[in-house]
Amino acid sequence: MSEQPRPGDVAEAVIETRRRPSIVWLIPLVAALVGGFVAWRTYSERGPAITITLASAEGLEAGKTKVRYKNVEIGLVEEVRLAEDLSSVTAHARMVHGADRYLREGTRFWVVKARVSGGQVSGLGTLFSGAYIGMDPVLAGPSARDFRALDVPPVVTSEEPGRHFVLRSYRAGVVDVGSPVYFRKVQVGEVVESALDPSGDFATVRVFVHAPWDERVRAGTRFWNASGIDLSLSAEGVRMDTESVVSMLIGGLAFDTPVDGDAEPAAAEAVFPLYESFAATREEMYTLRTQYLLYFDQSVRGLVPGSPVEFRGIKIGQVRDVKLEVDSSGQHFRIPVVIEVEPERIGNIPGDAAARRAAMDALVARGLRAQLARGSLLTGQLLVALDIHEGAAPARIVWQEPYPEFPTIPTPLEEITERLTQLVKRIEKIPFDQIGADLRGSLAAAQAALTQAEKTMASTQALVGPDSAVNQELRRALVELTEASRSLGLAADQIEREPNSLLFGKGRK
Amino acid sequence: MSGAPRTALAAGCWLCHDCALLCRVPATTGHGARCPRCGAALHPRKPRSLERTWALVIAASLCYLPANLLPIMTVTSLGKAQSDTIMSGVTYLLHHGMWPLAAIIFIASVFVPVLKLGILVLLLVSVGRGSRWRPVERTRLYRITEAIGRWSMVDIFVVTILVALVRLGSLATIEAQAGAVFFGAVVVLTMLAAESFDPRLIWDRSEETRR
Repeated sequence: MSEQPRPGDVAEAVIETRRRPSIVWLIPLVAALVGGFVAWRTYSERGPAITITLASAEGLEAGKTKVRYKNVEIGLVEEVRLAEDLSSVTAHARMVHGADRYLREGTRFWVVKARVSGGQVSGLGTLFSGAYIGMDPVLAGPSARDFRALDVPPVVTSEEPGRHFVLRSYRAGVVDVGSPVYFRKVQVGEVVESALDPSGDFATVRVFVHAPWDERVRAGTRFWNASGIDLSLSAEGVRMDTESVVSMLIGGLAFDTPVDGDAEPAAAEAVFPLYESFAATREEMYTLRTQYLLYFDQSVRGLVPGSPVEFRGIKIGQVRDVKLEVDSSGQHFRIPVVIEVEPERIGNIPGDAAARRAAMDALVARGLRAQLARGSLLTGQLLVALDIHEGAAPARIVWQEPYPEFPTIPTPLEEITERLTQLVKRIEKIPFDQIGADLRGSLAAAQAALTQAEKTMASTQALVGPDSAVNQELRRALVELTEASRSLGLAADQIEREPNSLLFGKGRK
Repeated sequence: MSGAPRTALAAGCWLCHDCALLCRVPATTGHGARCPRCGAALHPRKPRSLERTWALVIAASLCYLPANLLPIMTVTSLGKAQSDTIMSGVTYLLHHGMWPLAAIIFIASVFVPVLKLGILVLLLVSVGRGSRWRPVERTRLYRITEAIGRWSMVDIFVVTILVALVRLGSLATIEAQAGAVFFGAVVVLTMLAAESFDPRLIWDRSEETRR
């Protein structure tokens, strides 16, 4: 070690320890990458936050209640909070990534829970899983983040093909949301809304008719209330009508298009009147009505407003009103009956009012009269029958206000009754007592005459009996007469043979 | 060189990790020393102990956030799915009056990992700065860290058993979620970090400065 340099002579080498970074640093690197990736994904998949205002938070739980569409989870309620004014509840929900597209102003939310309505039970699954918020997305319209939840689930979601129509009714009846809408007894739609108009004058019922049946709703389509049982007792007998058991229980609507012509299918949201019953739709088809006043003297028991007015059995109108009137002298009762005739029921009737009036006058001149007739023997309902009675007493329509008076004639039945009464009265006039007394006298005389005749007969018997003298004499006379006639015959023969013997007597031989 | 060597390192002797043979190593040699008996590589201290421990502690800290923020399991019962994070599970138990259980889960799953990470950071910082502050207590802290490390796995075991047992189809199903993975990573990484830390470093500095 003698060559070992002394310190200070030679510079000391710098020993650089090049240490590569340890491979262990990969672990935090990987942890950072994975953590970063998870954080990024969680953040980037955060969908939009929305608020839903509800009337009540029943069934909602922060952090648990989901927002679902077609049963796919698309959001989670993160917070449920009372509104500042305590009037409602605000649910803050976080939607999934990409939900922005569905969050438009028309998008609807509602709470789905088990409920029984509209003839159907829905949301039974929520009994176990808890309520969730349903959504009906809309793809068009301005973007929105604040929504107000519906109180009841919508019957029809917006993507359902079909059309909405608005029905106006002066009484909504028992039509509830979800009630079925029938077309020829087949359910083709639902009631989606039933509300009283703000004016309070009428009720508005919104219905949805599914495609392709929405095409059947045309300009002339009539909607009617098919709720319950339509049980009518009229001159036509007992009639029961219902669409289905469901509509019987929960109500329903039906529609039909009477004249299925070339009318275009009605536009969505078109307004239609809603009739009370199927019969009403047929009544309402005739907009033109003429009212007449009829006076009857007889009983109108069984004639009620609504009773039919028929012409030879075809209904042309109905009775509007039946009253009782006493004339000014107080002597005489008569019954004014107002009838309503729908001239449109009669084909090729003149459209012009004056022409119609002239036609009616002409018909009355020919004998058109109104009379009461029995519609149904079972129910005793009466109807007003119009017919031409050729032999009727002349009459005419009194054109007056408010109703023109139409001539009437008594009912055939009534007529017969009247004639019979007259007959009975005449029969009553016959003096049966006197006739009896006379008859008794005549009989006594006859008795006497008969006794006399008997006596005469007896004496005659004695005169001409077989042992009577007359008889003997007669028999003898007859024998002698026979003898005489024979001699006469011989004489006649002699004369014939020898006519000269008459002059010369019997010949000599 | 003065005074009696108080450590093997000071005496130029290294201990074989594998067969525990005390070997004399020439002072000039740093690398490539091998045990003459079993042939294992010899190191005076755990190699690059501070660096490794730092890396593992940082990795564990990174995993700790998602482990607590993400749900660790989802219970699907009768169609009603519910995801729970560790803290939401603890609050659920507290709300239902099961506070002993809540305390166990809170201590094992939240408190202990934080404690471990805190102790390790404290040790690393103090050793890195060459502090001579309370070496006995710091060594005790290290022993605590090593001892309690595995207890945090209670959560992972519960989730594992539940996932395997509760498979009742639509009635009830339990599924592990991403949080469980991260939580498991936290526990494993802190255990590894505690393992890679060499407590002798605490004393090395005190020895050096005493000389």
